[in-house]
Amino acid sequence: MKQENILEVKNLKVKFPVAGGILLRKVAEVKAVDGVSLELRRGETLGLVGESGCGKSTIGKAVINILKFSSPDVDISGEVWLKTEEGEVNLLSLSRNEMRKYRGQIQMIFQDPYSSLNSRMTVGQIIEEPLLYHTKMNKDERNERVAWLLEKVGLQAEQSKRYPHEFSGGQRQRIGIARALSTNPKIIIADEPVSALDVSIQAQVINLMQELQKEFDLSIVFIAHDLSVVEHISSRIAVMYLGNIAESGPGSDIYHKPIHPYSKALLSAVPLPNPKLKNKERIILTGDVPTPMNKPSGCGFRTRCPIAKPECADSVPVLELKLPDHYAACPYVSGN
Amino acid sequence: MSDKSKEEKVSTTLFQKRWKKFKSLKRGYYSFIIVVIFYIFSFLLPFFVGRDALIVKYEGEYYFPVFKFYLAETFRQKEVQGEANYRMLKEQFKQQDNDNWVLMPVYPYGPNENLLDELTEIPPTHPNNVHFFGTDDRGRDVLARLLYGFNIGISFSLIVTILSYTIGVSIGSMLGFFGGKVDIFGQRLIEIWSTLPFLYVMIILSSILNPNFLLLTFVLTLFGWMGMTYYVRGEFYREKARDYVSAAVSMGAGNSKIIFKHILPNALTPVITFLPFAIVANIFSLVALDYLGFGLPPPTPSWGQLMSQGMQNIEKWWLIGTPLIAMFLTLLSITFIGEAIREAFDPKVYSRLR
Ligand SMILES: Nc1ncnc2c1ncn2[C@@H]1O[C@H](COP(=O)(O)OP(=O)(O)O)[C@@H](O)[C@H]1O
Ligand code: SF4
Ligand SMILES: [Mg+2]
Repeated sequence: MKQENILEVKNLKVKFPVAGGILLRKVAEVKAVDGVSLELRRGETLGLVGESGCGKSTIGKAVINILKFSSPDVDISGEVWLKTEEGEVNLLSLSRNEMRKYRGQIQMIFQDPYSSLNSRMTVGQIIEEPLLYHTKMNKDERNERVAWLLEKVGLQAEQSKRYPHEFSGGQRQRIGIARALSTNPKIIIADEPVSALDVSIQAQVINLMQELQKEFDLSIVFIAHDLSVVEHISSRIAVMYLGNIAESGPGSDIYHKPIHPYSKALLSAVPLPNPKLKNKERIILTGDVPTPMNKPSGCGFRTRCPIAKPECADSVPVLELKLPDHYAACPYVSGN
Repeated sequence: MSDKSKEEKVSTTLFQKRWKKFKSLKRGYYSFIIVVIFYIFSFLLPFFVGRDALIVKYEGEYYFPVFKFYLAETFRQKEVQGEANYRMLKEQFKQQDNDNWVLMPVYPYGPNENLLDELTEIPPTHPNNVHFFGTDDRGRDVLARLLYGFNIGISFSLIVTILSYTIGVSIGSMLGFFGGKVDIFGQRLIEIWSTLPFLYVMIILSSILNPNFLLLTFVLTLFGWMGMTYYVRGEFYREKARDYVSAAVSMGAGNSKIIFKHILPNALTPVITFLPFAIVANIFSLVALDYLGFGLPPPTPSWGQLMSQGMQNIEKWWLIGTPLIAMFLTLLSITFIGEAIREAFDPKVYSRLR
């Protein structure tokens, strides 16, 4: 029953240098991602959850190898293995040119539906662009594919002549989805695809993505800052805190039986009260959120952890198996 | 609004939207129309203001002196040397009362025409109903010089602006797109270049070489491109970090596609919003250089040269007054255009103009 992994992230570390002084030398660094490993199984959805700023988008962008473009000084280490027909490739070892070959197979849906669409291009041109780079289709074939994709995401074919500013946020996100699907990718990294949308529209877009997942046989990394968004669509969930995975395991386990103190706190902050947790007291996180630039020593969560001990400052906790297929990075809790 | 009526609505580009907004800003829009019409009209000036007749009918044949040069002998004009004098010819034909006739432009005086023979006083002469704005110290008609000077001033300024913007945008794009060392070194070089004193270089150059249209264009461009690089560089930096560019990279777009298809069209706001002000600045530079005597060579009709005459004959008010008013009106209307363009393209920053 267990599917093979289509994407494996191994010990990914991403550091952004902070430049200062007149010579713009490196004066500090932001450890945005600090040793993250993830596995995405074929046809499944992996939920990646954590507060804003914990490094979720950075992981997504590192996986599709676009970080170096916008931040040339970034320091990336680790491996990202993509399973292809010709075997496995480590995407991080590829140059931008070599990477091109694999871009059609792994696409991203961006967080902000406003800045992720070029406002000078029509919707048709936007969705068509990947086809120009990855297929040999002629103009008519491309138009046909654009029309088909627009209908797949619940828009109308005639809207391809429109500009992005003529659409609502939800419609724009649908356009982003159509663009990501145009080359028939196997993997989609969906970076908070609904957090910029109205609650009433969020469900529509999530449902759409689930339908498309079946139809296109997609494996999805679904990023969110709120556990409730990913709970019922993810087979597995990884909870992140400040550049590290705090807990990972089957979706329903994480939601119903969280182990790590951070996941528990995150769950008790879910606005729709979780009936299973109703009787337990709400955990209110105290203390300021540290930034990845001044990360606490040892366990990154210790400044806000309700059960923190002095020893927590000594070493970084590693993910330990607590329940079947369920890991947590805290030595002081157990699955029972 | 129902879905149907939305469907029928014509799709608008961002530019069309901004253009609509610009049109709604009446002061700037009307200034734009007036300046454009005036500038187009200034290319047709020889048909309205000039010494050469439009049509001459002489002994059964038609001549078109606006397009072609004719010697005075062609019309047996004995008292004139060189090119025929058509105003005189018109008088002659009138007296002869035969089939010959001359059709002059409405205002039959040219910008470089020396009228010493016709003037009854010593020039500069006062404005009157023949020479509406009087004549200058060489007996040339001031109105004609002002009008032709308008064309030269705007054309010069447009050429300099376009050239320096082309250079500025290209270099700014490169600095912003490639960043890193390219950017740091490029910026330092531009800073060094910016410290070269423009006026000294201009004075030295025009004492060695004879200033002409080309040389002036060249020098003003050379000293005028730096400002735009900073803005375009900044735009490129900002746009490069936005998600639509990341999306393009993630699709596999190459650098040239990213620069020309994605970033550049989104980075042109400062170019468009500063354009009118750059045109104003370049018109002003030309006037200033002409005024100082380092500008276009005589006898090119020029506002600056008229003003400098006016400063030497301060009691001849029309020499300084008319070019000043002409310049004021021109620069004012282009500034109005600039304001409206800014408001239409960059509404957040300049919304006080609403
Ligand atoms: N290009 C960058 N340069 C410097 N720091 C960055 C850059 N991108 C992200 N960061 C930092 O890395 C951390 C993680 O950011 P991000 O991955 O966007 O978080 P999330 O998507 O989880 O909200 C943040 O502290 C952010 O400030
Ligand atoms: S390691 Fe210590 S600080 Fe970190 S989660 Fe466990 S108890 Fe809390
Ligand atoms: Mg993010």
